[in-house]
Amino acid sequence: MNATSLTTPGFTSDLRAFWAIARREWTVFVRYPSWIISLLIWPVIFPMGYILTARALSGVDGSGLTTFQNTTGLTEYVGYIAVGTMIWMWQNIVLWSVGYALRTEQMRGTLESNWLSPTWRFSHLLGSSIPQLVSMLMLLAVSALEYAVLFGVEFRGSLWLTLLVILASIPAVYGLGFAFASVVITAKEANAFVFLVRGAVMVFCGITYPLAILPVWMQTVGQWLPQTYIIHAVRSAALSTDGFAAIAPDLKMILIFGAVWLAIGYALFVVMERRARQTGAIGQY
Amino acid sequence: MDLQIRRGEIFGLLGPNGAGKSTTIRMLCTLLEPTSGTATVNGFDVVKQANEARRSLGTVLAGERSIYWKLTGRENLEYFAALYHIPAAAAKKRVDELIERMEIKDRANELVEKYSTGMRQRIAIAKALLARPPILLLDEPTLGLDPQAARNLRELIAQLKAEGHTILLTTHYMEEADQLSDRIGIIDAGKVIALDTPNNLKRRIDQKEVIRLEVSGWHESIAEKLKSIAGIENLLARQQGEDDLWEVNMQANDSRAALPRIVEHISGNGTRLANMNILKPSLEDVFIHLTGKALRD
Repeated sequence: MNATSLTTPGFTSDLRAFWAIARREWTVFVRYPSWIISLLIWPVIFPMGYILTARALSGVDGSGLTTFQNTTGLTEYVGYIAVGTMIWMWQNIVLWSVGYALRTEQMRGTLESNWLSPTWRFSHLLGSSIPQLVSMLMLLAVSALEYAVLFGVEFRGSLWLTLLVILASIPAVYGLGFAFASVVITAKEANAFVFLVRGAVMVFCGITYPLAILPVWMQTVGQWLPQTYIIHAVRSAALSTDGFAAIAPDLKMILIFGAVWLAIGYALFVVMERRARQTGAIGQY
Repeated sequence: MDLQIRRGEIFGLLGPNGAGKSTTIRMLCTLLEPTSGTATVNGFDVVKQANEARRSLGTVLAGERSIYWKLTGRENLEYFAALYHIPAAAAKKRVDELIERMEIKDRANELVEKYSTGMRQRIAIAKALLARPPILLLDEPTLGLDPQAARNLRELIAQLKAEGHTILLTTHYMEEADQLSDRIGIIDAGKVIALDTPNNLKRRIDQKEVIRLEVSGWHESIAEKLKSIAGIENLLARQQGEDDLWEVNMQANDSRAALPRIVEHISGNGTRLANMNILKPSLEDVFIHLTGKALRD
């Protein structure tokens, strides 16, 4: 060779690679303009059915809200539903996007190209989650704005506490996404599992109703799902003025679930990636 | 399979479909773990020292979807430079250098989806060259390229060898392997059945001749009759396009002795001999002699 290799291994190089993956994913994402529609319209349309049902049951003047108020301590039922559906949308989109991130690369034909490089393999999953996270934070912000303007929802709580809960929820929400992504490399699809998880979140985590109205066994199932605590904590942080004390117990559970799901997501990734290399599944369409 | 590739050589790996060429490449570039045995790249074990092996390699896999179509050519190269851990300043210089070398400067800032197949392949090769790896694995690099683009690429491969790269090349084009390779390994069913220089391989059957016929109205019973002629072997018939015209190749120990009987078997029964040639054996004939199959089978 007339020149030496330009590769310089090290932590900084891995960090640059991670950033390059995030930037690539963002560039590709914004070059498909349909994202604007999902960002602006979907957050309003999706909870509309629930909100109008609630309005029908409570009466236009809200006279039937007493039971709701007694159970939840809140009068803002539109905000209550909006927060639940926003968290559900977040988890749902993470399952479809992060959960299918590697599969998308596989279908594009670029997974092998990426795998040929000496970059830490998990960076590919972590890096492609960053633009997804940014777009989700934009979606949550746009949603909150739209509910405030269109439905007059008053987010009377603290913006900082809400952000804190969302930040703390990232490991749990994305850990589940990583676990899905790992399974999908070899299984090729996980639609049935995605439908199962989002269905479970919808029923057991109280996205539009308080858990107290559920039978005890369903409440018990809900306690094993991190989204239950995330939804409850975001509602407390965004809609009430009870401060940090009201979210602290939920925050603790969210962080525990986050650590567990991140560990499960990473372990599954390592096992499934090795299995894919042994079976040749990485390049299979 | 037991195979060693020497530093600085172009090694052509040939074999019929399913022989194990791509599997070998995939194992060497760490995409597939061997079920048994070991493989080393630049002295690094592809399983135990996978990252060191990856740093030694530039790989072009078959197919044109190994780069991002929604990124520009330049963005693709900058992205992969980061994945190959090339420091930012060196990466910028190297990307410019490769864009210039691959003659895509005018269109480097256009999305890859607007490129021709040849341009996409040039980006894929530039990607493989980014980190100046000592070893290049090229899996069917000229597949799908027009003749001019394929010729340019062959010139580039020869230049890369001159610059000191060790190159493992798989190809379906026998002339390409003959022209570029220092040594050729012919594999079939995962085993190396011949390994030598192109000239030495051709010498193995240089006492034979190849009879090439163009025949209309060909049918299998004629093949059986021709195979029964003494000294005739490795007969392969291939239909030419949509017409009822067949190219029939066979190897003969003594073509002069065999020709009258060949003509006799072909004449009549609606079969017509359109053309006939006696040729010196090519690398493809060596391949057919060894595997009993044409490379594109």
